[in-house]
Amino acid sequence: MKAPKTYNDILHRNGRIFLALGLSVMLLVPFTIWAITGQMPDSAKLLEGFIALSILQLPGGIVEVATYGPMLGTSATYLAFVTGNLSNLKIPCAMNARQLCNTEIGTPENEVVSTLAVSASTITTVLIMGFGVVMLIPLSPLLNAPVLQPAFNWVVSALFGALGYKYFRGNLKLVIAPLAVMVIIGLLAPGFVVSTLSIAIIIGAVVSVIAAKIMFDKKWL
Amino acid sequence: MLLITRFAATTVGEVKESWWMYALAIFVALFILAGSIYFMYSAYRQSKKLNMSKDQVRKAVVSSISFSVLPSIGIFIGVITMSGLLGIPLPWIRLSVVGALHYELMAASVASTGITLATMTIENFVTIAFVMTISIMWGGLFALFFFKKYQIKVINKATSTDGKGFGKILFDAFFIGMICAYIGDAVAKIIKYEVRVIEDGAYVLDLEGNYVTENKATFVPIIVMISAMGAMAFFDWLVRKKNIKWLENFSLALSMIFGMAVAVFLGMGGIY
Repeated sequence: MKAPKTYNDILHRNGRIFLALGLSVMLLVPFTIWAITGQMPDSAKLLEGFIALSILQLPGGIVEVATYGPMLGTSATYLAFVTGNLSNLKIPCAMNARQLCNTEIGTPENEVVSTLAVSASTITTVLIMGFGVVMLIPLSPLLNAPVLQPAFNWVVSALFGALGYKYFRGNLKLVIAPLAVMVIIGLLAPGFVVSTLSIAIIIGAVVSVIAAKIMFDKKWL
Repeated sequence: MLLITRFAATTVGEVKESWWMYALAIFVALFILAGSIYFMYSAYRQSKKLNMSKDQVRKAVVSSISFSVLPSIGIFIGVITMSGLLGIPLPWIRLSVVGALHYELMAASVASTGITLATMTIENFVTIAFVMTISIMWGGLFALFFFKKYQIKVINKATSTDGKGFGKILFDAFFIGMICAYIGDAVAKIIKYEVRVIEDGAYVLDLEGNYVTENKATFVPIIVMISAMGAMAFFDWLVRKKNIKWLENFSLALSMIFGMAVAVFLGMGGIY
């Protein structure tokens, strides 16, 4: 007899259905444009572009699932891999909610908190985008105003600065090694850090985890 | 067939701003909205089964909404940036699903090297839409086929509390490393910040097909970070010491606004 499905099994089943539908909906867009216009994509350019971008996106996608999946939990991972903006919105959002609600990663409570956070964040983004499109004509001059450009250019810096305080406070020992390494890399190889931030994030995270493990084993934490 | 023939005769300008492109964008937005509402409702029901307090649920939702408003406006500005070349609906669709502005711009460049607003054809537009869509699906495909196994074999072991207890620290350390990478990025931008030039919603290429860049090295991101950090420390003090509890859900958003306001003031002083 088949073992009854656990709650997590159900989350995976529903999440996979949503993800499969999401990927199909994404694919539907270019195929619909092709069908309606009757214009095929340029196959040589398509292959060239696909290969060029996949060289970055294939390993990047795998690493993102492997690293962000645990932080997001089951449902939020499936939702986030359809809706995107992981490192600059969904992950910080889930981690902020987790800290406010005082839940631990891997617990059923955190699964709930993370799913609520990523869903609420996604709904907010969809509504703002929809509102923005409807109000495009009056909003465009405002959002494109040169005086406001710096604000939105550096929104991610503001986000990680604010969140940095929350995570650094009370975890100072965990901060020292990754902060030192990333600042040094930033100073010595600025072009590398700026142009391949996703790789820099992985380096920062790996350094941080290794340093934390050493300190944990030596009972310094 | 008649429909296809009729549209085949139109210009790319008409295609990218056509009613059916808007209909596609609305369909994608509604799909994502419906999925998010479903997941939110399921999580809410589960919170009741777990006897979680309403306060916890409210905190998770309210803080996430307030937190997401400003970055979402930033994402929408990406739609405006790309609209010069691709119209509104396609960037709206692309930035509503997995992807990001720099990825989409790169996809547009590699899919149709050297095209401009004046020279773009319907074939270019279709090719760009395909390249943008299929090249970013790897993460989703990996999650679809392997995330469950990965979670059972790796994550559950890492987060189990019956081991030495490192699981609790692991993800804090990981996220702190991620924040430090963004600090490293802000520091790097003080030394060198090569920005690809965007014209009419696409990256500009030189005669040899390389991206045209400008060095815009700047102190602004690190100042913004430190300002937001300081504001967060102030709000945290108000919450903990002055007992202004309602601020807790909004402190992050308000700190971000403060950091962004500092960027605006610096810009008004000619510092970008």
